[in-house]
Amino acid sequence: MEKVFVTGMGVISALGNNIESNLFQLKNAKTGIGKARHFSSKYTESLNFGEVDLSNDALKLRSNLTNEEGLSRTTLLAYIAVEEAIANAQLTEEELHSFDTGFISSSTVGGMSNTDELYADANMKGKPSEYVRSYGGGEHTLQIVKRHGIRGFSTTINTACSSSANAIMLGARLIKSGRLKRVIVGGADSLAKYTVNGFNALMILSDNPCKPFDINRDGLTLGEGAGYLILEGENSCRDKVKLAEVLGYGNANDAFHPSATSDEAFGPRLAMHRALESCALKPSSVDYINAHGTGTPNNDITEQYAFNEVFEKVPPFNSTKSYTGHTLAASGSIEAIFSIFSLQNNELYPSLNCKNPIREFNIQPIAQVTPKDVNHVMSNSFGFGGNCTSLIFSKA
Amino acid sequence: MYITDLKAISPQKTYTDEFLTGSKVDHEGKIYNVIEPDYMELIPKGLLRRMGKAVRMGVGAGLPLVKAHPDLDAIVIGTANGGLEDCIKFLNQIVEYDEGVLTPTNFVQSTPNAMAGQLALMGSNRGYNVTYTNGGLAFEDALLDALLLFEEGAVKKMMLGGIEEISDYNYNIDSLADKYKDEIVKDVDLLESKTSGTVCGEGASIFVVENEAKNGYAQIVDVEQITYPSTEDLDTCLQHLLDRNKLIPEDIDTLMIGYNGDNRHNFWYDHISNNVLPNSNTLSFKNLIGDYRTCTSFAVWLSAHLLSGNTDILPRIRMREVHSKDFSRILIYNHFDGVRHGFTLLSK
Amino acid sequence: MSQSREELTLELKKHIVEYLNLLDIKPEDIKNDEPLFGPDLGLDSIDSVEMIVLLDREYGIKINNPTEGRQILIDVNTIVDYILANKK
Repeated sequence: MEKVFVTGMGVISALGNNIESNLFQLKNAKTGIGKARHFSSKYTESLNFGEVDLSNDALKLRSNLTNEEGLSRTTLLAYIAVEEAIANAQLTEEELHSFDTGFISSSTVGGMSNTDELYADANMKGKPSEYVRSYGGGEHTLQIVKRHGIRGFSTTINTACSSSANAIMLGARLIKSGRLKRVIVGGADSLAKYTVNGFNALMILSDNPCKPFDINRDGLTLGEGAGYLILEGENSCRDKVKLAEVLGYGNANDAFHPSATSDEAFGPRLAMHRALESCALKPSSVDYINAHGTGTPNNDITEQYAFNEVFEKVPPFNSTKSYTGHTLAASGSIEAIFSIFSLQNNELYPSLNCKNPIREFNIQPIAQVTPKDVNHVMSNSFGFGGNCTSLIFSKA
Repeated sequence: MYITDLKAISPQKTYTDEFLTGSKVDHEGKIYNVIEPDYMELIPKGLLRRMGKAVRMGVGAGLPLVKAHPDLDAIVIGTANGGLEDCIKFLNQIVEYDEGVLTPTNFVQSTPNAMAGQLALMGSNRGYNVTYTNGGLAFEDALLDALLLFEEGAVKKMMLGGIEEISDYNYNIDSLADKYKDEIVKDVDLLESKTSGTVCGEGASIFVVENEAKNGYAQIVDVEQITYPSTEDLDTCLQHLLDRNKLIPEDIDTLMIGYNGDNRHNFWYDHISNNVLPNSNTLSFKNLIGDYRTCTSFAVWLSAHLLSGNTDILPRIRMREVHSKDFSRILIYNHFDGVRHGFTLLSK
Repeated sequence: MSQSREELTLELKKHIVEYLNLLDIKPEDIKNDEPLFGPDLGLDSIDSVEMIVLLDREYGIKINNPTEGRQILIDVNTIVDYILANKK
């Protein structure tokens, strides 16, 4: 079966508006989490967020969309990252319009970032807003398909926090099946009153910037962003620069509780095992794990439990959510991109805010920027509904 | 990929045998609500109490199948809106309590992957699990994922479903977007309607699909989809499906087609029906259930029964008859608002 | 006019049934000393958060996190005690 390579990437997050600035911040161990400047909510004073430092108008301006209506912040973020990925992979117009080129996106918030308008429209208050056709999770997908004239398979996935990881997995599978030659995969999510209040109602938001894997961690920090990768089959990208190979992937359901992971971490363990089995990779060959690491009491301990079960010697790991916050559906693809940075640069970036690491398993996250020969990386994403996905990337 | 078991909750009496043996529920107006079973008999109260309608329907149809087939390797669901009612209830709380102390259940249950998550939880199923939310193609996309899983040899048996609920809220939003008719129309007159807009339906159609036929209902052969096509693109898309399966248009004895009474978008259906597949008999389905984004799942349910020999359903859905051959291959063609188009091919 | 303990207890049970949407359970059926998170009622972590919301909305009582909640939300008696001690 054909190998699948990553030939382009695009990202926008609290760390910056493109690949270069995101990498720069990681290399300098600088977080993007802080007080929100554009997002409007009762919680912006008290809580921290991983906000993209551009207003909606500024995002529109960047994409030459100033006069367009009905574009949610999610869509605006997605446009920018998709654009960068396409340019990075140097996809031609012909390739973009080919029936062999697909687009797989994901979002949890979708158009619901326009919370006030959604409330008015849903309750039939006043005239229909400009967003009345934009609320669905799949609407940003439509807008991007239209913008780039995509004629191949396109879809939208929502498995909560593992959504864009599943998008990457599906993209690779479609190429291996021969149905597609290349596919743009990823996800986007924007800060929204809906998710802030939802996580707050579940009491899993921290009052402080999140502390993944720290004994005193007390919740997650919400973030926003978009991350997209261009995947191409080996036979379609012979002359292109390959950034990484999508080597393996695994998906499992924890089947325990709608919003918490089982103590025995069945879902995370199975997802990691399946990812390793899918490419017959020995656990000892994994050089680094980009953990899900949200900073909630439940996730971090169960994820470490899972590491301990899957790996005889747990490889170096971090949570880059300490830089970007939890970007929800976009986290899978953004963190895949960060994992690939480590592959490309042979270095590991520290996990921030972990002063007193969890002791139970005697493992600590990466503490400083560390040069290392990195050949295989694993990236984990575990979501509500028990949806767990693990991806493995290798040097191309 | 063979359908060996199936269940549907729909605006017809499909949960029991009544629809299949000839009963028809008449609908009039803009909303075709489902006929629901008694969930208290099916779903543990501790879980039922939290479920919004979409989750109830999905679990109501899916749980008996999960119980009858404890060896499912995967669960893949398509739902465009998920639990939108719960979503809006939470939203209302946000506004009414000004982002204060809010109850979390609505939030957790509103996520589209709650249905696949609940089915996994209730069946203790740790297999592959994904939810597609791609509007009018969410079910077709779930179906493609399932086909891939079988091709990969990753599964022997799995669950596939399409679910959508009507809530006041998603109905309101779609109404504001001019989706529905202004006037009241009877279901028997819907497809001939000369005005814009359609009617709103809902339902859950869940399937157990396997890698062996086993006296099952039908085979799901293939699926193709395209978004924002031109008519040429649409033809190319269908051609890809036919070529991949080494078929010509004449091999399609039956076309199940998504006419929904919205005259703004009929030309797509006219084109496929009259220009591309003029020799196929055509059948409708939306006069029975209204229109909703994952309604092709119901069309698959109907087709599965037709292919396995049921004829009682036919009088209610016959559109055009150009030959009297038996059912051998049914091609379902459906689009949503003329934007997302899907072809699903089933055979005996 | 202040409520008697009995009235408050019954009112609390009605709120519990309503907030947690306990199907088939009448407020009178809940025993005062029945562990809420025990096997019979079968409540879970989401319910504990819902209970915290209930106490805030109906009695103006703020509980800051589920850990604090666990000390108070043991059975109907302990909650009634807490309400009487803290109600605004």
